[in-house]
Amino acid sequence: MSKFIATSAIRGAQSAVAEADELLQDALQKLGPDAPIAFKDKAGGGTTFYLPVIYGLLGHKVGKLGDLVPVVEHAKSLLPPVPSEDLWLPYLGETLDAGAATLFAFETIEGVRFAKGEQPEKRNGFEYNGPISDVQARSWGIQLVDGRMPGFAAIVGAAKSNEVAVKIVRELQSRGQLIFLCSDSSGRSMVDQLQEEGVDMGYDTYIVPFGSDTTSAIYALGFATIAALSFGGVAAGDFRRILLYNKFRCFAFVLALGPVDDRKYAAAAGAINYGFPVFADTVIPNILPTGITQFEHVVSMPFDDIPGKDDLERAERLVQRCVELRGIKIKIAKVPIPGAYGPAFEGEVVRRADLAAEFGGKGGMCFEWLRMNEMDDVEDGKIEVVGPDIDSFEEGSKVPLGIVVDVSGRKMQKDFEPVLERQMHHMLNGAEGFSHQGQRDITWIRIHKNAIAKGFTLRHIGDILHTCMHNDFGAIVDKVQVTLHSDPEKVKELMEQARVVYKERNARMSGLTDEAVDTFYSCTLCQSFAPNHVCVINPERVGLCGAYSWLDCRASFEINPNGPNQPVPKGTIIDESMGEFEGVNKFVYDHSNKNVERFTLYSLMDSPMTTCGCCECVMAIIPEANGVMIVSRDDYGMTPSGMTFTTLMATVGGGLQTPGMMGHGKTYIASKKFISVEGGIKRLVWLSKNLKEELAEELQEACEREGVPDLMDKIADGSTVTTVEELPTFLEEKGHPALTMDPII
Amino acid sequence: MPEVEIPIEKWTGAVKEVKLGGGGRKEVVVGGETTLPFLTFEGSIPNPPKVAIEVYDKEPSGWPSPLLSAWGDAVKDPGTWAKKAVEFGADIICLKLLSAHPEGGDTGAAEAKAVVDKVLSAVDIPLIVIGPGVAEKDNEVLTAASEAARGQRVALGNCEEKNYRTIAAVCISDGHVAIAKTPLDINLCKQLNIMLSDIGVPLDSTIMDPDTGALGYGIEYGYSINERLRLAGLGGDAMTTLPIINHAGSEVWRQKEAKTGEGVPATWGDHEERSVVWEAVTASTVINAGCDIVVMCHPKAVERIKATIDKLMGK
Amino acid sequence: MALTGIQIYKFLPKTNCKECGFPTCLAFAMKLAAAGVELSACPYVNDEGKAALEAAAKPPIRLVTIGAGEKKIEVGNETVMFRHEKTFVHPTGLVVRIKDTASADEVAKAVEEISGYSVDRVGMTLGMDGFAIQNESGDAATFAKCVATVSSQTDLPLILMAGDPAGMSAALEKVGDAKPALYAATKDNIDQMVELAKKCGCPLAIRSSDGLNELAELTEKAAAAGVKDLILDPGIRGFADSLVTLTQIRRLALAKRFEPLGYPVITFPGEGASSLDEEAVLAAQHIAKYASIVVIDHFTPALALSLITLRLNIYTDPQKPIQMKPGLYQIGEPKADSPLCVTTNFSLTYFSIAGELESAGWPSWLLVCDTEGLSVLTAWSAGKFDAEKIAKAVKGENAAEKMSHRNVIIPGGVAVLRGELEEELPDWKIMVGPREAMAVGGFLKENWKN
Repeated sequence: MSKFIATSAIRGAQSAVAEADELLQDALQKLGPDAPIAFKDKAGGGTTFYLPVIYGLLGHKVGKLGDLVPVVEHAKSLLPPVPSEDLWLPYLGETLDAGAATLFAFETIEGVRFAKGEQPEKRNGFEYNGPISDVQARSWGIQLVDGRMPGFAAIVGAAKSNEVAVKIVRELQSRGQLIFLCSDSSGRSMVDQLQEEGVDMGYDTYIVPFGSDTTSAIYALGFATIAALSFGGVAAGDFRRILLYNKFRCFAFVLALGPVDDRKYAAAAGAINYGFPVFADTVIPNILPTGITQFEHVVSMPFDDIPGKDDLERAERLVQRCVELRGIKIKIAKVPIPGAYGPAFEGEVVRRADLAAEFGGKGGMCFEWLRMNEMDDVEDGKIEVVGPDIDSFEEGSKVPLGIVVDVSGRKMQKDFEPVLERQMHHMLNGAEGFSHQGQRDITWIRIHKNAIAKGFTLRHIGDILHTCMHNDFGAIVDKVQVTLHSDPEKVKELMEQARVVYKERNARMSGLTDEAVDTFYSCTLCQSFAPNHVCVINPERVGLCGAYSWLDCRASFEINPNGPNQPVPKGTIIDESMGEFEGVNKFVYDHSNKNVERFTLYSLMDSPMTTCGCCECVMAIIPEANGVMIVSRDDYGMTPSGMTFTTLMATVGGGLQTPGMMGHGKTYIASKKFISVEGGIKRLVWLSKNLKEELAEELQEACEREGVPDLMDKIADGSTVTTVEELPTFLEEKGHPALTMDPII
Repeated sequence: MPEVEIPIEKWTGAVKEVKLGGGGRKEVVVGGETTLPFLTFEGSIPNPPKVAIEVYDKEPSGWPSPLLSAWGDAVKDPGTWAKKAVEFGADIICLKLLSAHPEGGDTGAAEAKAVVDKVLSAVDIPLIVIGPGVAEKDNEVLTAASEAARGQRVALGNCEEKNYRTIAAVCISDGHVAIAKTPLDINLCKQLNIMLSDIGVPLDSTIMDPDTGALGYGIEYGYSINERLRLAGLGGDAMTTLPIINHAGSEVWRQKEAKTGEGVPATWGDHEERSVVWEAVTASTVINAGCDIVVMCHPKAVERIKATIDKLMGK
Repeated sequence: MALTGIQIYKFLPKTNCKECGFPTCLAFAMKLAAAGVELSACPYVNDEGKAALEAAAKPPIRLVTIGAGEKKIEVGNETVMFRHEKTFVHPTGLVVRIKDTASADEVAKAVEEISGYSVDRVGMTLGMDGFAIQNESGDAATFAKCVATVSSQTDLPLILMAGDPAGMSAALEKVGDAKPALYAATKDNIDQMVELAKKCGCPLAIRSSDGLNELAELTEKAAAAGVKDLILDPGIRGFADSLVTLTQIRRLALAKRFEPLGYPVITFPGEGASSLDEEAVLAAQHIAKYASIVVIDHFTPALALSLITLRLNIYTDPQKPIQMKPGLYQIGEPKADSPLCVTTNFSLTYFSIAGELESAGWPSWLLVCDTEGLSVLTAWSAGKFDAEKIAKAVKGENAAEKMSHRNVIIPGGVAVLRGELEEELPDWKIMVGPREAMAVGGFLKENWKN
C-alpha cells in the first residue's frame, strides 16, 4: 500500500467524517431528530433499503435524522490516525477502514441533504438524478446478474476535453457498462461536458448523473449494495458477503479523471472495500498486488502517456484497459463478417469451379499458429493483413497464407495453445462460402466466389477468430490479436518458426507423463446412458472415445468448472506400476454411484477401467495366444475372440468392469502405459488392419521403444487371421514374443 | 426355518423441503423425503407428492375433445379456468404463458403481469409460472410475472443451461422458487443445480425438472432419471436433493393416444377412457419414481392420481 | 458374488469346441458372466467346475415358465432393483382373469377378444399373455369344463386358480400337458398342491396372507418336496402395502440372496382397486415395481394398450434404446410438395422431431435412417449416420417419386454432412435444419417455400 495514498485517504476520510458530523449536528438543531430522511430520485422513485450502504453494511435502518447519530459515531471510531512522517507500515487495513468511514460519512451527508430538501441537486438549470430508485435498481440488477450488463463505471471528475468525455462514454456503452457520473475536477465535471455536447443523460441512456459533489459517488455503492441485498440473497448487516458479492459479481470500477484530491482518495478507498478498483488518468501511485479487488487496486494511466495517434484513440485505449483490468469479458453477439455465419455452414464444400482463392493443400503453403503472449504484448481486436489481400489474387489461384493468433489471458496457459488452435477449424468453417481442413502446417482453406462477392476479405478470418475465441474461450482468453500473412517470403519464414513450435509441442506432449502431474481428469459425459461409467484421463491415456486428452480436459475444466471434466487428484499412490491411486479410487467410487471400488490405470486383468459405449477400440485377451487383441470401431469383420466389435462392445459396454476386456482410445496402444502390467505392446497379437495402417508410425515408434522393433510384422490382423485356431500357428511362425511371456491368466 | 430379515437402506441424504405460497396464499410444501417413494418403512415422507393443473394464458386451440368436454367454457378465461382447477382438486396451478411465444401471439411483460394478477386473485393456492420456452421471451415475461407475484412465493420456469441467469435473478430478488429444466441427463441436471446455487439461488428455492416423455414416448427415460436423482440425493449428493417436477400432462396430451379419436386402430379402445388412463398411468409412473409435483391436464386423471397418492400414503 | 468372465473361463474346458453355440470358450464365459446363457449349454464342463459355477451363476430370482407352446410366459431371472442399473429382463406377464361362474358365451367372447387382441408399437406386435381361470363356483366339474373351454379357444398359457385340490386336479386332467401355473398353495393345502404340481410338472404359486415368514416357510417346503418352479403371492393387495412388500421381496432376493423368496411374484390389482381406472393405475405400479405376473380383472382395449405400452417401456434395455423401423414416415398427411426431413431411428429422436412437426402444423415426410438406435450426434460420431447412409435411404424410399420437390432437410447437428451429401445426391438441394427439434417449426416457416 502506498503511504502517499494511505495518508491522503485517511486525511480525506477525517475531513468527510468531520463534515458529516457538523452537518448532522446543525440539521438536528434546525430540524430535530424526527425529521424524515428518504432517498428519492428526481422523478420521485424511492427505495425500501433506507440509506442503502448504511443499511447493507451495518444493518441499521435510517428513516429520520436522529438515526444518523450512531452512524457518525461509528464512522469516527473507524478513523485511523494519519501516518506519521517517519513510520512506514502496510496501511492497507487502516486505509480500508478510512474508506468505510468515508462511505458512512458520504451517505450521512447526502441523507442530511435529503432531510433538508436539497436533493436531488439542481445546478445551472440541470437536474441531477440523485440516488437510483428501487424500480430501476431491480431492472439493472437483473441485467447485472444475467450478464447482459457486466457492471458500472463510476466516473469522478472531468475528461481532458469534451470530445474525450463523449468518446469515453461511448466506449463504455459499447461494452455494456452502466455509467455513473459524480464530482468535478477544478469546477468542471463530466456532466457539464456531456451536456455541452448534447449527450442525453438518464436511466434510458444508461448514463446517470448523481450530483456535482464527490459525496454523491455514494449512490453508486448504494446501487451495488442493493444489488447484493436483492440478488445475492444477502441479509442486511452481513457486510462481508455484500462486499464479496460485489467483488465477484459486479464488474464495476471507478474512473477518476483529472487531479485526485484527498476526498477522492478517501472515496477510492471506500470503493476498494467493495472490490472495485480505481483507475486514474493522472499520475498517482499504483497499487498493484491483488487481494481485496480481484486484480489491481489502483492503476494510474496518465492520459497523455497512453499510446495513440490522437486523444480519441487514447480515450478508447483508456477504456479498453479499464475493462481489461477489471476482468470484464465481452460476448460478441454476431460474428462481424459479410455473409452468413453459423453451424449450418460447417459441412459446406467449396468446389473448384466456385473457387475464388485457395490456401494450402497440395503444393500450397498455409499454416495456423496460435501462441500465448504477455498481456501487454497483445492488442485485443487488432487484425492485420500483411501482404496482398483477396482482391489482388487471380480468381481460383493458390496463395500462401499464414494465420497467426496471439492470445493472452490471466488464466491462459502455454499448454492450452494446441487446444485452442485445434478449434480454429471449427470456428472458421462456420462462415458461409468458406471451407477449412487440416491443421498446423497442413491447413487447407478454400473461399467461394460468392463470399468474395459479398465482401469477404482476409481480415474477416481474423474477425471470426477474434469473436469465436472470446465467445467460446472467454474463461481463459482475455485478448486476441490476429495477423494474416500473405507475403510468400514472410509466410515461409513464419512457417519455419511455427514448425519449431509444433515440434516443441510434440516433445512436450510426449514428455507429459503420468508421473509428471499430480492431477488427472474425469469425464462423465457418458453417464446419461452408462450411469456408473467414469473415464479417468491421464496424460498417457486419452479418453476411450479418443476425443479428450488430458490437456483438453484441463482446458475444459477451466472453461466450465462445473462441467463433465473434473480434476481427479492422484492422492496417495497405492501401486504405481499398476496405476492405482487412492484419489482415483475415491473419485471413481463416488462418481460411479458407489459401484466401482477399485480402478487401475495400467492393467487389463485387475480392476481395469470401465467402458461406456463410445470407445474407439475394444481390447480382449486371447488366452490361447497368451496375448491380447484389439479391434477398432470401424472394423466390421470377425476377430479371433470369436466376437465382432459390436458383440465385444455389448459385453464390455455400459459402465461395467470386465477384467480381460476393455474399451480404449486408439492412441493408447502407442502409449508407454499401454497395459504395462501385462507386459505392454508385446502382448499385442492381433490388431484391426485399419488401425495398423492408421497408426503405423506411432506403433513402430512404440515397438522400438519397447525393444521389439520388428513386432508389427508379427501381429496378425483380419487379413491373415480371423479365428482363434489360426492365431497360435501364425504367431509361432512369426516368433511372436507373447508366446513365451508369463501366462496372461 | 428361514427367518426373514427385511433389509433396510440407511440413507444419508434427504430431499430439500421447498415451500410455495405464503403471503396470504395457502402454503404448499414439497420434498423432505428421507426415503424412496412411499417406502415409509425406512424413512419418512413428510409431504406427499402434489398435483398441479395446467392453465394457459389464452384459450387453447386445437385441444383434443376429452379435454375440451371436461373443462367446457372455463378455458376461455385463465381466472375461471384456475378456479375450476381448484374445484377439480389442484394443489397448485401451473400457469403457462403460451401467448408470449413469438409464434403464439408474442405478448409481452404487460400481458404476463395481467394474467398472473388475474390467476393470483382468482385462487388462493400456489402458482407455478412457465414461460414460452424462448429465452428472450422467457426473461421478459417471467420477470414481469415475478414482480406481480412478489411475496407470494411462486415457482418460475424454466431455467435452462443456456438461459437461467435472468430467471434466477428475479427468483432471488423476489423470493420465488426457480425451476431448473434439463433434457433427460442426470449430470446436466446436477450441473444446472450447481450453477443456480452458484449464482445465489438457495437450494431450498429450487425445483428440478429433469424432463420426461409420455407413456410410449420415452417415459422410461423420465422414470430412470427420477430414480437416479432420488438415489443420488438420498445417497448424500446434495446437489441432487431437490424436489422433482414432471410435466406428465402436457407430454401425454401431445401424443396420438391421447389426442386422437378417429382413424386409430380399434384395439386402442375408447378415446376418452384411453386418454385418461394414458395420463393417469404416466403420472403414477413418474410419481413412483420420485416425482414431487406432477403437472396434469384432465380432471378425471387428476382425481385418479390424487386418490392414488392418498392410498400410497396409507390414507 | 457373481464371477467375472475370466474366472468362469478357468473352469471351462478351453477347447473352443463351439458346441455351446459360441466360437470360443472365452466368448461363452463372457456371456455366462452376463447371465445371458445357461451353463448347461457347455457339455464338457467338469463336475467341480459345475458345482462352483452353478453356485455362483444361480440366478437370485428363478426363471419360471408358464405354458408350453410358442406363447409361453417366461418370468423371473431379474438381477437389479432399478432398471437403469442394467435392465429388467423378463417382461411382466399380463393375464386376464375369467371366473368359471360366467356363462359359456361370456367366456367364449372374452377369450376370443383377448386372445385376438394385438397392437403394433415401434415395429412390434404385442398383446395379452394369458388367462387365469378362477374356480369361483367351487365346483370341480364346472371349473374343469370352463378351463377346457378356455383352453380350446386360445393358445395363450393358463393359470388355474383353485383353492380346492379336487378342482385343480380335475382341471389338470384337461390341460395338464399345457403346463399351466397352479394357483395357489396355501398352508392349508400345500401338500396336495405340491403333489399336483409335481405330477404334471407345472409351476406352482404359493400364497400366504400371514407375512413373508410364512411365505418363505411354504416355499421351502415346496422346494424340499421337489417343486422348484414357484411363484409368490404375498397376499397383499393395496397400493402402499404391495409396493413395500414387493420391494422387500425383490431386495431380499437380490441383496440378501434369500433363496426362499427368490421367485417371481404374481399380483391381482383388481382385488386392491375400487374401480376400473384404479385397477389400471395399480397394475401400472406393479409392472414398474416388481410384479412378474399381473392378473387383471377388467379387460378393455384402452387399458390393455396402456399397460402393454408401459411394460414395453419399463422393460426396455437402457443400453439398447427402443428403435423405430427405418423408412419414410408420414407426419400428418403430407403432399408431394411437403418438406422432407431426415432423422435417425432412435425412438426418442423420432418422437421429438415427429411431435414438433405435428404440433407446428407441418404435414411432412420424415425419413428415418437405420442408425442402430443411436441419436443424431451419437450416430454421426459413431459413423452410423453419414452422407452415404442418408443418400441410400433417400433413394431406397423412392423419395424422388413421392415428392414434387428436391429438397432434403438434415438435422443441424450434422451440418458437416452437407458437402458430402451434395456429392451423393446431386439432384437434391441439401438444407441444414435446426439443431434442436423444437426449432423445426420456425425453421420451416422461414425457409420452406413451396
